[in-house]
Parts: sequence; C-alpha cells; structure tokens
Amino acid sequence: MSSSAPTHSDAAAPVRTPGRSRPTALVLLVVAVLALTTALTRPGEAAAAAPPNSVGLVCTDGVAGDATHPIFNLTTKTGYISLPDGNTAFMWGYSSGSDGFQHPGPVLCVNQGDTVTVILHNTLPVPASIDFPGQRDVLADGLPVRAARNGGGRITSLVDPAAADGGTITYSFVAERPGTFLYESGTDPETQVRMGLFGALVVRPAAGATHAYNRDDSEFTAGEEFMVLLSEIDPYQHRAVELGKNFNVNNYKARYWLINGRGFPDSIADNGASWLPTQPYGALAQIHSYDAGGHPLPGMARYLNVGSEDYPFHPHGNNGTVIGRDGHPLENDAGDDLSFEKFAINIGPGQTWDVLFKWYDAEDYSPDNPVPVEIPSLANSVIGTFYSGSPYLGTRETLPPGTASLNQCGEYYIISHNHALYQITSWGATMTGPITYMRIDPPEPNDC
Amino acid sequence: MTSSTPGAGGGPGPIAAAAAVDRRRFLKLAGGAAMATGAVAWAGGWLNPEPARSAPGDPDLYWGGTDGWIYLPPTPAIAPFHPDSLAPAPLTTYIFGFRNLTGMTAQQRNNQKYKAQHSAPLFWVPQFDPDNPRDFTVTLTNLGLQLRPDLFDAHTLHWHGFRNVIPFFDGEPSGSISVPAGREFTYVYRPRDPGTYMYHCHVEDVEHVHMGMTGLVFVRPLQDGQNIGGFTRFLYNDGDGSTGFDREYAMFLSEVWAEAHWADAHIQLPEWSDYRADFALLNGRVYPDTIAPNGSIDPFNPVTDANGDLIAPDGHPELKFQPNSSLVTCKAGERVALRFSNLGFRESAMTTTGIPLTVVGRDATPMRGRDGTDTSYVTETINIGPGESYDVLFTAPDHSGGTGPDTYLLYNRSYARSTNLAPDGYGGQTTEIHVYPAGSTAIGAQAYPNDWGM
Repeated sequence: MSSSAPTHSDAAAPVRTPGRSRPTALVLLVVAVLALTTALTRPGEAAAAAPPNSVGLVCTDGVAGDATHPIFNLTTKTGYISLPDGNTAFMWGYSSGSDGFQHPGPVLCVNQGDTVTVILHNTLPVPASIDFPGQRDVLADGLPVRAARNGGGRITSLVDPAAADGGTITYSFVAERPGTFLYESGTDPETQVRMGLFGALVVRPAAGATHAYNRDDSEFTAGEEFMVLLSEIDPYQHRAVELGKNFNVNNYKARYWLINGRGFPDSIADNGASWLPTQPYGALAQIHSYDAGGHPLPGMARYLNVGSEDYPFHPHGNNGTVIGRDGHPLENDAGDDLSFEKFAINIGPGQTWDVLFKWYDAEDYSPDNPVPVEIPSLANSVIGTFYSGSPYLGTRETLPPGTASLNQCGEYYIISHNHALYQITSWGATMTGPITYMRIDPPEPNDC
Repeated sequence: MTSSTPGAGGGPGPIAAAAAVDRRRFLKLAGGAAMATGAVAWAGGWLNPEPARSAPGDPDLYWGGTDGWIYLPPTPAIAPFHPDSLAPAPLTTYIFGFRNLTGMTAQQRNNQKYKAQHSAPLFWVPQFDPDNPRDFTVTLTNLGLQLRPDLFDAHTLHWHGFRNVIPFFDGEPSGSISVPAGREFTYVYRPRDPGTYMYHCHVEDVEHVHMGMTGLVFVRPLQDGQNIGGFTRFLYNDGDGSTGFDREYAMFLSEVWAEAHWADAHIQLPEWSDYRADFALLNGRVYPDTIAPNGSIDPFNPVTDANGDLIAPDGHPELKFQPNSSLVTCKAGERVALRFSNLGFRESAMTTTGIPLTVVGRDATPMRGRDGTDTSYVTETINIGPGESYDVLFTAPDHSGGTGPDTYLLYNRSYARSTNLAPDGYGGQTTEIHVYPAGSTAIGAQAYPNDWGM
C-alpha cells in the first residue's frame, strides 16, 4: 500500500516537549501549526510514492484477486507511535502485505457483493485473529468461523485465530451490505484490540463510490470523504506488553485518546506525513462551502469507535446528518428516512456512524457585505494561529507585527473534537488528543 | 415541522420560494405540505442576504467573563480539595464563569470581577425572521481572573451547535480571535434553527468549560405567538402544535471535579485523565438546593443591587452566585417542556419517578427524517451525552387530591451523580416536579423560563 509513504521528505520531526505544564499545549500548537504549514504549502515536494490524497480517506484496495474477488494480505506487526506529549507507545498492528508496522490498520475498501478474502499472517508471540463485526457467514480456511476455546471450555477467541509466531489463516466473506465497519482482533481483545489490532472496512454500495448507501440521498462529494476513527491508550498496558509482563486489565485507565491513530496536532498533518512514519492517516477535513451550482453535495464522515466508552464528538458549525449506523441505513421497511441531524456525534464502543455534512456560508459576509459590528483592532485581540486577520472567507488582512499565522488564502478553520473534554488531553498535555479541523477553502478561483 | 437547514443529503430545496413569501405565508407553508418536503426557512448565502437591522448602540446582552466562588455541600469533605481552604464563607468552590452585565454602568460592570456565577446566565433568542431581519448581539468583555492574574487568559463565547457559523463568531480561539482582559468583542447571531443549545468559553476549553463558563441558550421558533393546537409557545415550527407547551424549564447539566477546581485556585494543574465528577449539577446547583428559589433569571431584565451585584435567592445567601432554580411547577394536564443540555464530561441518564417523557427534539433538530417521517419517541430515561441537547415534553399527570402539589423526582439514574458522594439519599442532578391541581390558583403563568409562577 502507498499510504504510509512520506509526503515531505525534508520535514523536520516535531519538537517534543515532555512537560505537563500549561505552556506545553502552546508549544504543541505551534508545532502543529508548523506541521500544517509544511504540509499545506509544499505540495510540490511530495515524494515519489506519495499517497493519492494528502487529506481524506485513503483506501487500500485488494492486492490480488479480481474486481469482485479482492484479496488482502494482512500481517500482524509491532512498532511504535508518537503521542502528543512526546511519549511513544509500543503497539501491535495489522499491515498490508510486507509493509512496515502502521497504526491503525489499512482501510480496506471493497464493493458491495464482493467476495472478500483476507489472509492473516501472524508474527506475534500469541495467537491472533480478525473478527469482522457486521459481516455474515464469515469463513476461516473455508469453514464457518468458530469461537476458539481453552481446555476449560471458555472462549478465548471469537473466531479461529492464526497460530503464534508465523501462523496463517484465511478469512473470507461476501460484503453484502454497504457501510462502514470495523475489523479487529477477536482474540483476547482486552489486550489485542487495545494494542492496536483494528482497522476500518468500507463497503461501497452498488450505487457507486460516491454514495454511502443505495439511497439517492446518501450521495456525497467525491474527494470529501473522511475517516474519524477514535481510540484510546493506557500506556501502562502497552508497556507491560512490550516487556512481556502481565497486565491486570482491571487497572486499565486510558491516558491518551486518538483520532485516526494520531493526537492533535499530528491529527491535522497530511496523510503519510514523514514525521509520523507509522501513523499514516490524517484527520483534517478539507472541503468547500455549499454552492447550489458548483458544490451541491455534502461531505461524508465515517466515524468508528474502537474504545471502551462513548465518545461524544462535536463538529463545530456543521451538524452531521447521521444516515447510517453499523452499516445499516437509517430507514424503515417502507424506505422512509429515519436519519437525524446532530451536533454531538455520540458514538458507542464498537459502533460506526455514517454522517453527511456540509457547511454553508450562511450570511455571505464579505468586505462588501461586512459583519454588522465594529471589528476590534487586532492589537486588542488574542489572535488564533489559523486566523487570516479577516472575518471573511478568502480574505486576508495584515496581522500585527510578530504575529504568526498559518492561514494561506483566507480559508476557514472550524474545529471538531471530543466533547468529554478530559479526553482531549494526553496524560497532562491539554488541548491535544482527538481534535481536528474542518478546513473550508474559498470558492474557486482562489490563491490557496 | 421544518428543519430549517436543508437536509445535508438532499438538494437545496425550494429555497427561492420560501424566501420570497411573506412571514404569514411562510408559516402556512411550514405548517403544511412544504414542511414535509423539507422546506427551508432561510435564504442562505447563495441569495443576497437581506440587510439586517442592526440594533443601534447597546448590544442585546452584555456578558462578562471572570472568576469567583460557588457553594456546594461541604460534607462529605474531599480533603484537601473540598471545601476549598481559600473559599470565602459560606462558599466552597472556585470557578470561572460568566455574568450578565446588561444595562450596567461601567462602574457596576467593573464591580463584577471575581463575582462569576454558575451555571452561566440563561438566555434565549427569537428565530431570525427573514421578513423582519434583526441581528441578535452579545458583547463579551473579559473582567480578568482576580485569584489567578498570572493566567491572563482570554475568553470567548462559543455557541455550541450553531449551524454554519463563521469562525469569527464561533469563539474557537485558534481559528479566530479571543478577548483578552479589559477588552470586548460583540458576537452577532442570526439563528435560523429553533431548539436548545448550550454555550461556553472555548479558550483552554478543557479547563474553562470544567471551571464553569457554561450555560444554556435556546432559540424560539417563528411559529411562536400563533395559536396552533391550543398552544401559543412551541419548541419547533411544528405546524401542528405537537411541540407546544404551557411551561418551560431549562435543565443545564454540568459537573465539578473538586480537585480540578482546587488546583486552579491553588496554582496547580490537575491530571485530566484522572477526571471524576464529584458533584453533578443541575442549573449550577445540587439537590436539594436545586429546588431553592430563582435569583435573577430573565437576562433582558436583570435584577441586581446598586453595585450591580447578584441578589441571593430568598433564604439562601450561599446560593448568591447560583441563581438558577430547577424546581418544576405545573398543573395537572398542562404540557411542560424540559430543555436539557449537558456540558459535563459524562453521560447523564435523566429519569422521573413515573412520568413518561416524549423526545421531540435533539441537538436543536426536530425529530423528523429528511422526508418528514416522525422519529419522536416516548421514554422514561433520557441519556444525554456531553455536548448533547434534548427537547422533551411531558403532560403533568392527574392530581391525587387535596390542595398541595404532588411531588415527583427528576434525577440522574447514574446514581453516583445523584448523591454528591454522600451516603444519605439524593443529591446532585436531582430536582422535583410539583404538580398542582388543574384548577389551582397557587401558581400562575410563567413570566420567563424556570419561573415558578408564584
């Protein structure tokens, strides 16, 4: 797969500040901002094997098979990820083929009706497996999957595992229903899923790749499809696994929360950012505002929760229309629409929510249609690092001397974040974790 | 019922038609067939916005951000964090918060430094009327943090859930500007979507939200004032009176982790992943304080003393900085609206002792699919996540006889948050619903939300 390739080979690794003091968040924000600038202003420096898209969902397609019989090779690997407070965490993960460790696992994209084959190669010192929640009649080595039991009859794995240290097993199923699904280890999940054995599976409907479901009202804008995969980490559990020690899961306590395997500010760096070699998936949502003629369709966000509790995710300024959950469109038997709009996407453990969203420039404020209040002098304001100096989309103003702004072309940045706010921290570094932004570019032509 | 933002998945809808009709015609449309097809209430950016009539001079509301102290039950103590050793008696808990400075002199405004309240002042806004466009303005000033001048934190006002806001008016500090001490900024709102929301400061928001800069705001529908189905006040533009009510109560949920509040007062930092809700608050108080009288509620007619200070509710000097009561009073047969918003960090499970609750809105969205399909439902318990809002109706049950009110509890079924961690009964996110006989003269009409009518 290509998604883990570096985009900017010369980008400096972010400076890590391990402290837990208030300035940490500021330092991190500056780092974020530098990262964003680097990511967004040097598109010409992409390495040869750059991912197909710097933002948005990165699909891994089948590596073998044919158009309706994709085959994936997934290998369990160990590796490390970077966390926003400067720590690293030892992880397990699924990688595509012989790719290096990555977190989370590759996004498997298939089409409705495909017969999907996933060959698992297990390099871990324990048996491991892949469970496909929401898929029916999954086969393991050609036979219906069975739970594995220990000598006492207790279930140790929801599905047949691959043996430790080099075992292989082949899962297959027909992707009958379109939607967003998790795949995750079914073996000792309190350890294995938390260690990182999970990823997203996207099943495209027969209606096409720019529909979420086979409903006309589930169509979205090509190129505005985003993953919001939410997870958490207890560093003590990861340390124990790394050292081969026992961990009492009753002592589990998450200290980090992540989006697409990254914490803010890394979350808004490009897909495949070079300083995040094992965390290929960014979470920045880059869109254009609604326009009846040129941009009539919404964007699409695929939310997945692999954590231990509900995550209340809050996108500012654009309510999500929840059109499906767990691969089921929100409709009744008569086809009536049961979707609902939300400004808090409260997604439960193991759930997936399919959400359409769009942003209107509701008042069309501009220099010719100014905001109906006096704009205070910027010298009398605290200026945000993404602010253009102007309230208006596509407009920039001179900022006071010494003010750093990462705004490029008067684009808007509107935040999305977990609203259980203690979870947008990283073991002491506040304003990190599952935070990302929606970047709204000015209408074309622009000078972005 | 119209969800006045076009459905995200649908086309733009008959926008031009909706924009061209007058208000009466629009309401008729909204109440008729157009409602079911997703008609929209606003013209949007692709038409020329009508010039809004900006209120000259003073803003509609004038808010101040500062610090202060509130009262929570001092027992059981949570040593060394609660009650805080720095707290001026009878108060216990350091907060950041907002105050309503509307109509005050400059001297009165300055007097309010270190006199924050929690929850923040309740306010409401009429839905933007394209035929009578008027901006709603809230000026925010930063009075500074008396106990923590070292922080020199800015403040903002983030209206949580406001659709299609531009960053300039969103209050998220990275994408816009925020208000340093001694300065002010005016937020302009043209709210097109009725329902219940919440607001908070978004600067350092893990801290500023938890420290108490949080409150509830709602938008009244354009349909208000018409007589539809026997009601004249409504939660949404339902067209059929299905969201009409006789009385309304804002129920704002927040939490206090004693250690975090103590840490801010004592120049410490908490480890946020250790978060716990020691106190779960309903409108800024815990039961039984929740049923103590209101202080000054109506934000447009604030009542203060000559210094501009809050006046404590009758008999409760300790609740001076917690003016919002949660007691629900109603008469048998009346329809009562409860507007819930949660800016705690935990899910709350609000339930009653025997009164079914009908969910007619959620996150300022009527319970309707994009094609108009009714998705409202009846339940006994409302699970409200952080950042969520629910609009709920109930019909007050028959009275059991006699003259006094029947009492029902409304409480958080997550018991740890309806006890204050105390061993002896209910506390926390608990209040009472007092149902009077249908013909009772003990309570009159509400003058404003959460008014007891007494």
